[in-house]
Amino acid sequence: MKRVIALVAVLAMVLVACGGGGGQATTAAPDTTAGPATTPAAEEPATTAETEGDGEAEAPSGDPIVIGSTLALTGPLAPTAAIHKVAGDLFVERLNAGGGLLGRPVEWRVLDDESVADQAAALYERLITEDQVDLIMGPYGTGAIAAAIQVAERYGYVYPQHTGSLTYAFGYECHFPSWPTGRYPNQTNPSLVYDALESTGNPPETIAFVINQFPGSMFVAYGNPDTGDPNDATGAKQIAEERGYEVVLDVQYPLDISDWGPIAAQVRDADPDFVYLGALGVDGPNLIAALDALNYRPAGMFMQWPAPGPVLGAGESAEGVLSVTAFESHPPFTDDPENAEIADAFREAATAAGIPYPEMETQASASWAAWQTLVQGVEGAGSLDHEQICDYLRNNTVRTIFGEYQYGTEENNYYGDLSYVKQVQDGDWWVVYPEEKAAPDRTLEYSPDN
Amino acid sequence: MSLWAQSIVSGLLSGGLYAMMSLGMSLSWGVLKIINLAHFSFILFSGYITYQLAFSYGWDPFLAIVVCVPVFALAGMALQWVFDKLRISEFESLLLTFGLFIIFESVTSAIWTADFRRMDTVQNPYQSQSVWLGDLALPVPQLAAFLVALVIALGTRYLMDRTDFGRAVRALSQDRDIARAFGIDPHRVAMQLAGLAAGFAAIAGVFVAMSRALFPGLAVEWFGIVFSVVILGGLGSTLGTLIAAAIVGVVGGIATVIGGPPLAPLAIFLVLIATLLFRPQGIMGRSAT
Repeated sequence: MKRVIALVAVLAMVLVACGGGGGQATTAAPDTTAGPATTPAAEEPATTAETEGDGEAEAPSGDPIVIGSTLALTGPLAPTAAIHKVAGDLFVERLNAGGGLLGRPVEWRVLDDESVADQAAALYERLITEDQVDLIMGPYGTGAIAAAIQVAERYGYVYPQHTGSLTYAFGYECHFPSWPTGRYPNQTNPSLVYDALESTGNPPETIAFVINQFPGSMFVAYGNPDTGDPNDATGAKQIAEERGYEVVLDVQYPLDISDWGPIAAQVRDADPDFVYLGALGVDGPNLIAALDALNYRPAGMFMQWPAPGPVLGAGESAEGVLSVTAFESHPPFTDDPENAEIADAFREAATAAGIPYPEMETQASASWAAWQTLVQGVEGAGSLDHEQICDYLRNNTVRTIFGEYQYGTEENNYYGDLSYVKQVQDGDWWVVYPEEKAAPDRTLEYSPDN
Repeated sequence: MSLWAQSIVSGLLSGGLYAMMSLGMSLSWGVLKIINLAHFSFILFSGYITYQLAFSYGWDPFLAIVVCVPVFALAGMALQWVFDKLRISEFESLLLTFGLFIIFESVTSAIWTADFRRMDTVQNPYQSQSVWLGDLALPVPQLAAFLVALVIALGTRYLMDRTDFGRAVRALSQDRDIARAFGIDPHRVAMQLAGLAAGFAAIAGVFVAMSRALFPGLAVEWFGIVFSVVILGGLGSTLGTLIAAAIVGVVGGIATVIGGPPLAPLAIFLVLIATLLFRPQGIMGRSAT
């Protein structure tokens, strides 16, 4: 009998913990999202529509508009998804404080896809068919985005998403990405970085590629010749070769790599002028630590999509590291008072949520832009009809934290590469290239002779 | 030559960390017949506590061992008490501890958020330090983990072979009822051994925090390596675990140089399969026959 009780207890615990079939994923998460919808919010409005209004906004009334989405609240993608959670919560809170959407309050129902793409697809199916949410917001992570887009297309839902980097794979006409790399990041991102290096007048002669096997970073590094679009066929490595850089190392590593020592030894052995690290998360600081242990430091290093905080934690060894961004919490990005105010509010919210690096940068700003897109689509259409929202967004200019732009319907609705080069200088990230977007008194520091 | 030597040394030292993570699991599975997935949670929790002590109070990460080992030894004993009360089987232990593992992951997220936590170079100056043998660099965290794993493996071997406690443990692993007939209290011995295993997990956590960034989902990444090491070394054999961890580390390092990092898991599992074909009980495990 005791065994039976034990087994039942165990199974119950597992079911509750895993959220299988209606557990954690669909009960715990809505509490956290419903909260902001009814919590007294910040004084200042956030969205374009709100800022257009004069004076105080009327309190929203009526049934809430429910926006459903998933995020990787647990699992390996959770560290970055946490940033999107903070951004979404803050946006909805301010949206409601500014009068809601179409005069109605907004509730964001976010479920945990556990960093599993299939789980994300199943949960979007549930959000649309069972919960019958009014609108959806894309998940975090290219895999989940690719899985959920099929569900959105099947039901004709407008699908804004913030971080889809596999740009050739998202052909749904009502999909609106705010990821600011444009349709061809495999061309534009590395070209931007190489242009920046060449602007110093002393570019690298040799380059090493160390690439995470994540599909998005592989695409940027090597392109994908199988899409049928010649612009997809090449990536950072081929462009480097075309520019005359000698590729002295090309190594790929899996997402869950546990030992950086052998890779660091290979980099030291190749001794490149520049390391192009197709990095995610904490790959960058992990490689830096392994290189430090070998007492080796390359003249320059680029990281594709690092978690910004841990890179700074590497201290002096991270000085000079490059990455790309579309927004940083410093001028000229914060010259716009509205953007400055949003950046301040995000910093406060992220700090309160325990996010170690609470500054608004690419991830948070992409999230913010996706929410702004959705809200402007609804307000522009004046209804929750997805066809009308989609038509509006495809045919009108949208104003987001990145500026005004038109979705490029010929390029899977990506609107162009808004990336800029940032660099760690004096213990913080600063945009250094191009000059018009550089932080005051900041210029790119690089020399292969260092 | 330098590249090869450095990669082999790096792999060998990484094996020290793998051994630290696997020793407790091997004891738990081999002797207590508990496949304790909560062991991974203990490692991660200990890592977070190490991080927090360094971050909030400026503690040297090595000092965290003083706090983490007793805390998790007690936690391990408490968990074993529950296992004993429930009289769970090997399979049930897998289910129960999987549930605990998921719960611990959620608790970790609630306390430290899902974002990455990594000690910076001020809190953890060891992360960029190395001991040099000619051209060969021996990174301090990995070297320390290897040496500690070596001491623990040899010490535990001595404990098992030469002390009354060890004899009681071995008797318990062979026949619980007969052991009881000879005056051994199986519950007490099991709790002590579980405390020892959890203490090893705590030490592993300290070294994990010194070596890399922490996030709640990190522990899942260790499943493959740890189970490979435990099975390859032989269930319950601490010396076998150390040898297996070194083999796994070195094979991974060599495979990385030959075919790149993606080849490493393939090479490790090929070695595991090949070994088990000839020694199903693992390198130093006892044959069932």
